[in-house]
Amino acid sequence: MITSTTPPAADPESRLRPPRYRIAVAVAALVVLALIASSILNYVFLDTIPGRASLYGLLAVALITLGTYILVRAFNRDRATRRNQLIRAGVLIGLGVLLWLLVIDVFLYTQSAGPGVAAVCALACLPTTAFGLLVVRRMDRNHKEPWRLVLVAAAWGAIVATSLVVWGETIWESSAQHALVPGPGLDTSLAFMAGILEELAKGLAVLLLFLVMRNDFDDVVDGIVYGAAVGLGFNFMESVSYMTNLYSIFSPEGQGGIAAGIQWYGRQVLGLFFGHATYTAYIGAGIGIARQLPAMRQKVFAIVAGFIVAIAGHFSWDAWVNLFPIQNTIFGLVEIHLRTLIMTGPFTAGVIALLLFGIRYEGQNLVDQLRKEAATGQGAILADEVPVLASPWRRLRQRLQAFNRAGLPGYFRVSRLQTAQLDLAMERWHRERQEIDTPLEAEQQLRERVIQLRHWIAA
Amino acid sequence: MSGSTYDQLRTLYRTLLVYATVGVLILSIGIVQFAYFERPGQASGVTARIVGVYEYDPTSHKTVGPDRSEFPRSEEFAAVVDWSSLPSNLIVDARWYDTFGSMRGAVGPAHPSALTDHGVVPVEAPEGFHLVLPGRYTFVVERLQDGVPVEVLGRRFVVVDRS
Repeated sequence: MITSTTPPAADPESRLRPPRYRIAVAVAALVVLALIASSILNYVFLDTIPGRASLYGLLAVALITLGTYILVRAFNRDRATRRNQLIRAGVLIGLGVLLWLLVIDVFLYTQSAGPGVAAVCALACLPTTAFGLLVVRRMDRNHKEPWRLVLVAAAWGAIVATSLVVWGETIWESSAQHALVPGPGLDTSLAFMAGILEELAKGLAVLLLFLVMRNDFDDVVDGIVYGAAVGLGFNFMESVSYMTNLYSIFSPEGQGGIAAGIQWYGRQVLGLFFGHATYTAYIGAGIGIARQLPAMRQKVFAIVAGFIVAIAGHFSWDAWVNLFPIQNTIFGLVEIHLRTLIMTGPFTAGVIALLLFGIRYEGQNLVDQLRKEAATGQGAILADEVPVLASPWRRLRQRLQAFNRAGLPGYFRVSRLQTAQLDLAMERWHRERQEIDTPLEAEQQLRERVIQLRHWIAA
Repeated sequence: MSGSTYDQLRTLYRTLLVYATVGVLILSIGIVQFAYFERPGQASGVTARIVGVYEYDPTSHKTVGPDRSEFPRSEEFAAVVDWSSLPSNLIVDARWYDTFGSMRGAVGPAHPSALTDHGVVPVEAPEGFHLVLPGRYTFVVERLQDGVPVEVLGRRFVVVDRS
């Protein structure tokens, strides 16, 4: 029986780690302070149902934040400690989710449309969001991200980021409505509000992942995956919120279901990849590129550039969506699709271009490292395995062959071996580029793990 | 680091910077758009007197009851404006906006003296609907210049309940 433990993730003496962690702690502290301030402000100044939900939901947000932190850190610990950490994380996240649902149901959705409608809306959005996460994770063809981190990113987008924007948007919107002329000027101001505040809130989640889990944040491809996952999480919660709200507004006219259905289609089908997922993917791309750049000035430029593109994309949709003519005829259905394609399509195409280039760049370097590792003759990667590991299709074929021979256990064993071999190549790539803070012994442990897995499969 | 590796990373970095330049351009257009509709230096110091918002009887076209800020969906309501509180040389109008920012009733634009018979400005239900939609409604009296509203002279907010 193999006891597979992750190699030590970082050198405690590394001079790279303390400043990075200090930044992460500072960002997390800012997030917590902003959440507390938002809840108090909402409660004191708004005195509305959402204000109360925001205040009472604080504990739920805190539990989920702490739980996800323990969860992602658990995988860097040894097997014995990891189990306890996972249980703690599970309990905290479970309590947080239950409390959050309770708060949302009681104070928000129950008030507007009722818990039944809220539950139906959430259930309707779950499969589409899950499909989105599946596609986004599979985009990383060479080295897939762990599900736990992809789900953590989505959870942050859904719960923490949406909570963060409540106070900012409420204050901005209320101030603008009291000061500006209704019409295009006010609409433009609100578009700036959504672009800036929502992208900052979502981007913080990607930034924290980058700071805390750098070992799983390799390059531009990973950044795009995490960014899109945060966007999908945010889109999930926003969809549920809009669907229940519109249901409650239009249900007295007998059109609640239609209004909620149109929202679902617009946000969960048409806009699943074109909206929040695209915008936040740019933030991830900026952080991912910054991760590999050598100079601090370039790193800062890359991160700021990612945020600017995300804010601009989001702003352009909110500000100019009403300029696109939609006729009140059957052709209007075509126009709705064209509008999304024309207005958000170029942004999505841009991020896909970065993704494809990033996959190619990552793939070439992994092949290079696989060849170098094979040349060492240490046995972790054999020369004839390099072409297989370099091709996602050939890797799949190898796993299917194992499935034919030994069923599902065989499939997963080969999958684990391939993942460990690619982990080793990735580790080598980062070490060669001097952008890693794990000790050399971690690389040796990865190598030994590959060899153990190989023996296990052979046995 | 090999030269080709750095070149590829540099290509990614530069591509992102090009995207960001386009982003800056988009945001700049947004700022210009905002400045066009929210023109600086337009504060005239004039204030319109909104007498109140009342329940509205559509058959008699008159308001009834006290000034209120909250109405059930089943009630129609209207704002009452004292147009004589405004200088006669201005071009003004009055508008209702619903919770989605869509216009739901208006009078003007015209000189205030031409609007004295339109002191009551009722809110209208959307086309095809029996009642107004719930949510927050905004009533504004605006000053126009070259056909564009440039200043709000008076403003009231009203909440329409879902029940």
